Amino acid sequence: MLQRTIGLGILAVFVATVSASGPSGVSAQSAWPGADAYVGADQDSANWILPARSYSGNRYMTGAQITTANVGTLKTAWTARVDARGPLEVAPIVWNGTMYVTSSHNDVYALDAQTGAVKWHFPYKPHVIAFSANRGVAIGDGKVYEATLDGHLIALDAMTGKPVWNVVAAHDVTNTFFTMQPVPYKNMLLLGASNGDWGGIGYLSAFDAATGKRLWDWKTIPGPGEPGHNTWSGDSWKRGGGAIWSGLAIDPATSTVYIDAGNPQPDFLGTIRKGANLYTNSMVALDISGAKPKIKWYHQFIPHDTHDWDPAMPPVLFTGTVNGASRSLVAAGDKGGNFWVLDTRTGAVVYHLAVSTQKGQSTEPNRRGDIACPNTNGGVEFNGGSYMPDTNAFYVPSVDQCGIWKSQGTATYVSGQFYLGGAFPALYGPSTGYMNAIDIGTGKFLWRKHLAFPQIGGALSMSTGVVFTGGVDGDFSAYDAKTGNVLWHYATGMTIQAPAASYVLGGKQYVVVGAGPAGVNFADPRFNKGAPTLEGTYSHATAAQITAFTLP
Amino acid sequence: MRTVALSLAALVFFGGAVPARSAPDDHASAIAALADVRAAVAEIVRIEDGYAVGHGAYLRAAHRAMNALVGHRDDGYAPSFGDPGDGVGTLGHLDRMLDQAGASLWTPAVQGAKANVLAAAASLQSALGQKEMEDYEADLTQALASLALVVGRSTETGVLGGLDGALANTTLGVPAGAATVSGCAAPTRAPAYGIVAGRLAYIALPRNSAAAGIPDGLAVSRVQITGRWVVLYAPAARAATALCRAGSRFGRTRAIAAHGAHPPFTAGQARTGVAVYRRYCLQCHGADLQGAAGPAVSGTEFLANAQRNKWTLSDMRTTVFENMPFSNPGSLTPEQYANVMAFLLASSCFSAGSQPFPKTAVPVLAQVKLGPVRGAKPSNPNLGTCLVR
Repeated sequence: MLQRTIGLGILAVFVATVSASGPSGVSAQSAWPGADAYVGADQDSANWILPARSYSGNRYMTGAQITTANVGTLKTAWTARVDARGPLEVAPIVWNGTMYVTSSHNDVYALDAQTGAVKWHFPYKPHVIAFSANRGVAIGDGKVYEATLDGHLIALDAMTGKPVWNVVAAHDVTNTFFTMQPVPYKNMLLLGASNGDWGGIGYLSAFDAATGKRLWDWKTIPGPGEPGHNTWSGDSWKRGGGAIWSGLAIDPATSTVYIDAGNPQPDFLGTIRKGANLYTNSMVALDISGAKPKIKWYHQFIPHDTHDWDPAMPPVLFTGTVNGASRSLVAAGDKGGNFWVLDTRTGAVVYHLAVSTQKGQSTEPNRRGDIACPNTNGGVEFNGGSYMPDTNAFYVPSVDQCGIWKSQGTATYVSGQFYLGGAFPALYGPSTGYMNAIDIGTGKFLWRKHLAFPQIGGALSMSTGVVFTGGVDGDFSAYDAKTGNVLWHYATGMTIQAPAASYVLGGKQYVVVGAGPAGVNFADPRFNKGAPTLEGTYSHATAAQITAFTLP
Repeated sequence: MRTVALSLAALVFFGGAVPARSAPDDHASAIAALADVRAAVAEIVRIEDGYAVGHGAYLRAAHRAMNALVGHRDDGYAPSFGDPGDGVGTLGHLDRMLDQAGASLWTPAVQGAKANVLAAAASLQSALGQKEMEDYEADLTQALASLALVVGRSTETGVLGGLDGALANTTLGVPAGAATVSGCAAPTRAPAYGIVAGRLAYIALPRNSAAAGIPDGLAVSRVQITGRWVVLYAPAARAATALCRAGSRFGRTRAIAAHGAHPPFTAGQARTGVAVYRRYCLQCHGADLQGAAGPAVSGTEFLANAQRNKWTLSDMRTTVFENMPFSNPGSLTPEQYANVMAFLLASSCFSAGSQPFPKTAVPVLAQVKLGPVRGAKPSNPNLGTCLVR
């Protein structure tokens, strides 16, 4: 009760500051970003207030100091250690000189964005259903919001790190958890649930940001009587999957949210869920202007998937030039190794391009075991990519692996366990990655680089022609956007599974990225042997840290 | 108000997935499923015995019976006709039981009951489309025949026994929270349910207040009155006690079957399993077995979670043998898997015995329920784990 009163007191001070400094909120140094600040987040080089910088989901920055000419002199500004019980996947949020990050087990840290000094630390000890991971927080109204591995949504006081409210936000905590970063929109927090390998049904929820009260749910699997229900045989829809777990994009002008629903379940046994299995492996454009979301369109990337090839890449909205004409586009990528560009108004496919080796994709897994590519952690992963208007190109890393897939004759739902109808595949053959640049004018590669290790660090591009990404070997690299030449790189000595962010503070531009242990998905046998990276050798990381870089 | 209604609707939709603590237990679900069947039967009998005039009353009866059977989550549910059942419907209750449970002795009976409910619903659906009274009556009669099989009879086990058979002869007849004892021995306390490998052998009641403790509609093959207890033997008690005699020939198997609590493994297996764990599991599940990138696999947190999710040793075995190690499932030898299972169980403070953890899937593992270990003396009280060396 005491904490709550203090929190309200601080809030009152902020409200006063906002009104004194204008409605935008951006210039009010002690206020919190309002609706306008979120809409204009891509123009604010001092802060980074949404997971992928802006509602468009495009990690693209203007006003950068780092250029192709000086990026080679980039040096470590500071590092900050965080809890290392799992991989670090966090997209940092930076506001008013403070950076908010999370660890795999939901610890939250407020760091001084200039020095890395810890301002406060909120420890948490959630029950882990299967994979520990968290992609970060949302901020607003004096609070820091985190969705947790045990299905809670928690609001912390942004100044102290003390809980303000804490609600159970998952419908079934035995098979559902959260790894996604909540996204603030108007008075709401938008959040998707991770339950797509454990027998749940995916849903996007909106919560009242002031109280944590649920406002609505939108389920990814149509129930009886809803359009698309007939794409599921029998009762299979009841545990159909379709988790919304990586991220989302919003077009505030039309109040449209773009989501990617994940793989169907049981993952590897298609015979008991005959049909296309909507809306799994689909991008869905939802009108969220009303009391409940309405579908505007959908596009299913892989109907009736039997390989867990969900569209892990969060959607990226951009205006690109296609055959000389300016078009409103949305990019997507899936673990089946496909990169997609759709029309934002209709969902029609503009381009489709394979960015990883594809093999054996039309054969359903069987009891004997078949080889198919990419592997379950292959293709385009959950940090996605970035569009650069200056080159009219899209930059996205990918993973190149194959696997041996086996299914079982049946799938039994056991609460709190995988619901797979088989097993995740065993890696077969080499495990490598690509950094890809795709020319949006032609739908062909502008350039691509084959790399020794899987690449899942997303892409951060700058108007100065520099693109940053990180690999699971821990190498954080800057590419020349036009040529694909590596201009600079730094070996973190840990795996990079987090996206980069950037901001200008005290006259200096910082680029930050998280790195940590390999975790469940990207453990690599070469790590044990101390595999060579561009700088030095690698061993299994037992630490996790945020590293900030700046020009000297 | 609107948002409240929405979130309630969402909860109902995810009915099969509501957290275990708020979900009804299987026994209560079976009783509720039977009540819905009886409500449907009553509707059909009333219209067949009555002298209703006009098409509407007949359609209404078929719709109401259908509603009681399928529940409001089914698209066959027609709310405007009313529902003589509880709204969840026989199907809703049976689906919940089949969804939540691993395989139990009563699973085939419940699966059979579900098939017969679907058959009855199909007959009712057919009746709704009939124009001639005779055809309507024939469909209703067919529906009643199917429902009779859903109810089943208490003297039979398996599919033929239906819900009554499962309630009278298996652990499905044991209400949540009721005390259970080994059905192979005479009762040691009362009230208590004597259980042998998932079968109900008897219900023991205190002699002085036995009448008050007899469950409604209980079927009994034999009543024995001793000095302190009244022992009501289940209709299929002889099958249960035959298992006790068979079990005694297999040593430890008997204890597992009788008490349903003790995982088989040897101390030697557990010691050998240490190296397997270190090499293949430690990186994700932690040196203290409390999880890191992956979940906790031993001790207080693991066992509490296992109990919450009603995991049997068979469920745990399936995950370990078939889904682990995560990056290369199924890649260890059966011996390595058995040894690491032994290591995990020993680390959770289960005590080792003379029977090894089996290298193949054996049915008895499904009888061992995982949960906090009674009388455990953890070497690490904070984590509830026992050191294995």
